[in-house]
Formats: sequence, structure tokens, C-alpha cells
Amino acid sequence: MNARTLRVFAALCISLTALGAAAQEDGVLESAVVRNRLYKPAGHPELSLSVGLPVQTHLTAHYFFDVGLAYNLFDTFALEARAGYAASRHTGLARSISESFLDREDKRVTDELEDLWQMNLHGVIGARWAPIYGKISLVADIPVHFQTYLWAGGGFGNLKRESVIQCTQVVDRAAGVCDNRTAVDDRGSATENYWVKESRVAPVVSAALGFRFFIQEKHGVRLELRDWIFKDSYRVNLLRDEWEAGNPTGEPAGSPGLTHLVQFDLGYTYSF
Amino acid sequence: MRPFRSIALLVAAVPALALAQGAAPAQPPSAPAGSSGPDTTAPASPSPAEPPERSRTQRDAPAVPQTAPESPAVAPARPPEDDDAEGTPAQAPEAPASTGPTSGTAPASAPGDAPVLDSGEAPRTTDAQQQRLVNGAPLYNPNVNVHIVQKKRFADEGKHELVLYPGVVQVNGKFTNHVGTALHYVYHLQENFALQVGGQYNWYSDESDFNLELIDKVREQAQAASSLLLQWGAHAGVEVTPLYGKFAFFNNSLAQFSLVLSGGAGVGKTRHLIRPEVANEVEGQTYQVPARFGDTGNKFLGEVGGGFRVQFGESYAIRLEVRDLIYTARVDKVDGCNLADFESLEAARAANQPFEGLNLSGSCKVAKFDGVDPETKKNYREDIILGRDLVAEPSSDVLNNVSFYAGFSVLF
Repeated sequence: MNARTLRVFAALCISLTALGAAAQEDGVLESAVVRNRLYKPAGHPELSLSVGLPVQTHLTAHYFFDVGLAYNLFDTFALEARAGYAASRHTGLARSISESFLDREDKRVTDELEDLWQMNLHGVIGARWAPIYGKISLVADIPVHFQTYLWAGGGFGNLKRESVIQCTQVVDRAAGVCDNRTAVDDRGSATENYWVKESRVAPVVSAALGFRFFIQEKHGVRLELRDWIFKDSYRVNLLRDEWEAGNPTGEPAGSPGLTHLVQFDLGYTYSF
Repeated sequence: MRPFRSIALLVAAVPALALAQGAAPAQPPSAPAGSSGPDTTAPASPSPAEPPERSRTQRDAPAVPQTAPESPAVAPARPPEDDDAEGTPAQAPEAPASTGPTSGTAPASAPGDAPVLDSGEAPRTTDAQQQRLVNGAPLYNPNVNVHIVQKKRFADEGKHELVLYPGVVQVNGKFTNHVGTALHYVYHLQENFALQVGGQYNWYSDESDFNLELIDKVREQAQAASSLLLQWGAHAGVEVTPLYGKFAFFNNSLAQFSLVLSGGAGVGKTRHLIRPEVANEVEGQTYQVPARFGDTGNKFLGEVGGGFRVQFGESYAIRLEVRDLIYTARVDKVDGCNLADFESLEAARAANQPFEGLNLSGSCKVAKFDGVDPETKKNYREDIILGRDLVAEPSSDVLNNVSFYAGFSVLF
């Protein structure tokens, strides 16, 4: 940067500073550095629909379908209630473990596996803080305005758990069958299985980092990385003879830790 | 006198800019950029023909600069470069006083990014909706080409960029966990296209707690190829920045960002856990034996990724990216020893014979499975059976090591 450039730059800074101040006094310019903030959600309620896919699956997989109702207290802050249902299942890995472990009779004492709870119905209330407002040039002259936000809240979820270790009625140990299927190799024909099941309602905490892209005045698309967190619970020191006889066995784990369900959410928002 | 001329131009631009933002928003932004025809010229000053928008906005007409700059025909036409399009068109209508409504003397040297009215038959809109201004910009005027985002304040073309990622954390670790540090060099051949080379060293790479839990509770574990660990990797490739934008944090500070997409290929060194950390009891004394890993060789490495580069000033940027290191894994040797080697070693171990003279493959590092560690008293021969288990059923997989990269860069 030579002396000439420096002088021009200094003059430009002074000019633009004065210009901005004058314009702001005049009420033309907002104080925002991204001027012409087209979308101001403050004071508007909004309705959202979202679908969540699992980012990583271990023993369970969840697919969330949520409805949200939010009220924007400010442009950068909103309160939101979310509720929905998560379709869940055991992964192929969990099924493989359950089938092979039936025949592993050398393991007579063991602990239940962690993170096997599946969440279904759930509801949370939280706050959304969107300190970042920006715009991008997507292609040519299409304006895309967006907010980046953090979301945190809590609520309750209905949880269920199906063991992959404790089978109360072994049908075919070698084939790993623990249900009433009509043929050994036809898992789909089973109408009932004999794995130990539990259910409970537990507090749930949810946190998310997301982008909200505005489409016209009332519509928006949301992309989120969301974590659903709840306390795990499982039993330890299980005795094979007991569980295969249909008797309760073991004791609750002392410090079971937390279960995280990390989802990638894609959502639509309608602002009233 | 060029500096003074430059300053004079800037000073001259100030009132025009302020006037444009404060007044006459409904005027079609045609006069300066245009030279299009009579319909495209703006009124010279407040007049009885003041458009209805003027009264709606309740703004006084701007004062025409009293002292003409050295180049009055050019200065008013200069669009501000401070913001996006919504702001730019409004500055245009203020033609200098000397320019009559039909004079057609609009400056010919309009900047390339100035709003332009379609020439010829483009009608001057009178529709109120089309004339409506959104924060000073005629967004709904079909005759105005509104730029979306301001010019990039910092050009990348021709620049070198050195990126340090102090923290690279694997985010998809089902059977493995990796944490490392990466260093990349990027040369921006063009504004949106760059070449990159980089290296990464994972100072922590181990099997996940989940895999160890499976081993402990149900005596299952991932196949060797599925739990291969990446020690380091080096790759070269390209990087593109298909879009850029800006954002405000709490309306107080401005930052420019780019979406970066990258791809490349290279090589990586892999290893596999042979034995986790154990306690070794010898003559009533307990020694902690660290985990032992076996070398599984170098593998071809592919890399794809994407993320954001947020630039601060001309020389600094923060990068937040997600990259997937893809490597093919086939585990049929550990520390250079194949299944036949392990079988020979195990037979010799069972017979308590020395390993010298065994018919082993040339690559087998037999010394790693022989002797006793002087510190932990661990007999390395006990690991032979574990190594054999890894190659007993040769496995192959394509691994995706997806990691989050957080780093900062210096441009020069």
C-alpha cells in the first residue's frame, strides 16, 4: 500500500463514515452492516415442518417428523415448541449381534449394551438465537438471505428399549431365532418376539445449529444439525440362565451416561 | 496532483451518495448509467414533476452540490461500493444540475456494476408496486438490474493461502476415533478456483468405545478392514468457491464468507489395533501395558469436502469445513506378516522355539513379535495370536473418515 493509496483510502473512510452517519440520521440506513435486511421476523409467529435423518447410526436409527410453532420476540430471538414422532428401528448391526449372541453360550454373565433406547413421541420447548444474518449470491442475481442460529431447549420423550442380549424364549439358538416366525429364514413372518422390552418417559434436551434461508416473505427452508439427548439406562451383571428362564436379572448401571441422537434436519417454515 | 484529484472525486461523491439514499427513491435509476434515451433520464432537481413516491417518503429534495467537482459528469454516476444492490440503484438518479432532463449527456464511463436500464423499448414503470422501494432499492422494478451482493472486498486470484487446522476431529466414528492436525497450502489460480496440497497427522487414532464395548459385552467386533486407523495422510487437489456472501453478527460487524468445495487424491498410512491397553501382572507387580498397533501399510486416499471460509481483512480467514477422507482397506498383513507367517510363528511359540530359521515372508517384521518389553515385562509373543486373528479372514472395505476441520489461514 503506497502513500497515494493510503491517502485515497483514508479519504474514502472519512467520506463513507460521514455518509453513513448522515444517512442513519435521516433514517434511510439501518444500523446493520448488512443493509436492506429484507426479512424481519420479529413479532411474527411461524409454523414449521421438518424431517430428520440420522447422521450416524450404531445400534438404532431414528427418522424424525416434527411440527414446530414459534414466535419471534425479536429478529434474533424466538421461542419455539416442537413436537413429533420418530420412527425408529434396530440397525442391521444390532440384529446381527442379537442373532449371534444367542449361540454364544460361553458368555454366561454380561451387561446390556448402551444406547439402545429408541425415542418415539417427543415434545420440546426451546429458544432460538439467530445472531447472524447474511446473504449470498447463489447464482447470478438470485438473492438468498439467511440466518444462522443456535437452538436449545428441553422437554419429554417417550422411550422404548428392546434388548439384543436377553431373549426370554429361545426358539432356535443356532439360527439366532427369538420370535415366532414360521420359517427360520423368514424373519418377516414373525408377529411377536421374545426379547426383553422396556419403556419409559424421560426428560429430553435438544440443541441445534442451523441455517434458515428465506424464500420470499413468508416462506423459508431450514437446515439443521440437531442433537437429542437423554439419560441412558441399562442393566449390568445379567445372568444368562436367569434371562433365558424369563426372570429379571442384574441391576441398573451406576452411571449409564447420556444417549445422543444426532440428526440432520430439513425443514420448511411458514411465517404468518 | 493525482491524489488531490482522487480525493476530490471522493468528496464529490459524498453528497451525491447521501442524496441518492435520502431522496428521490422512486426515480428510475437510469440517468447516469444509461444514455438510453429520453425516458431514461432523471429530472435534474426537485420540480413540480416530483414523482408521487417523493411525497410518500416525505423527504426533501436533495441539494445539488454547490461546487462542481473537476469531473462533474463522472462523479455523480459513481455508484457506492459499500453494499449490495438494493442500495445502488437509488444513487443513480441524481444527475448533476447541468444535466437537463433530455440532454442525454449522461456519463459514458459508468462502472461495470452500475444498474442498467434496458435500452430501447424498456418502459419507465409507473406501477406503484413496481416503484416500491425496499430499504431504498427498487427491488420490484423490472427495468432495474439489481445486483445481489456487493463486490467482493478481497480478491483471491493470485494469492497464496496457508491454512492450519489445529483441530481435526472425526465425526462419523462408529468403530474408530481420530483426532489430528492438518496443514494445507492453497494457491488461488483464479477467483473461484485454486490448487491445494495438504497433509494431516492424527495424533490420536484408536478404536472407538463402541467397538470395545462390543468386544467386552458380546464378543463381537468390527472386521479388521472396517476398523482400520489412519495415522497420516497427504493429498493434492483442487478447491472451488462457487458462491460467496456476507453476514452480520448482531448487526455490528461484517464478515465475508465463501463456500469452498474441495477434492483431491493422495496416500495415507494405516494401522490397526492389535491389543488394547492391558494390565500385566508379573511376580506380584502390575504393569500398565499401552495399546499395541500393527502396521497395515500405505493406502490410496481420496478426499472430498466442503465448508465455509470467513475472511477478516485482506490477509486472514477462518475455515470451518467437513472433509471425507476415503481409503480402501484390505487387511491381509499386519506388520508385514501374512496368515502363513503368523501360523509359523504361533507354532514356534507353542513349542517354545526360537523364531530364527523360520520360513517367513520377507516383509514380516518378526522382531515385533519376539522378546519381552523391559519396562512392562510384556511378552510380545503373546500378541501373535491376536495378529493372526486380524488376518485369518482377510477383509476389505472402503472407509469414510469424515472429520470436522476448524482452522485459520493467512493469505499473502
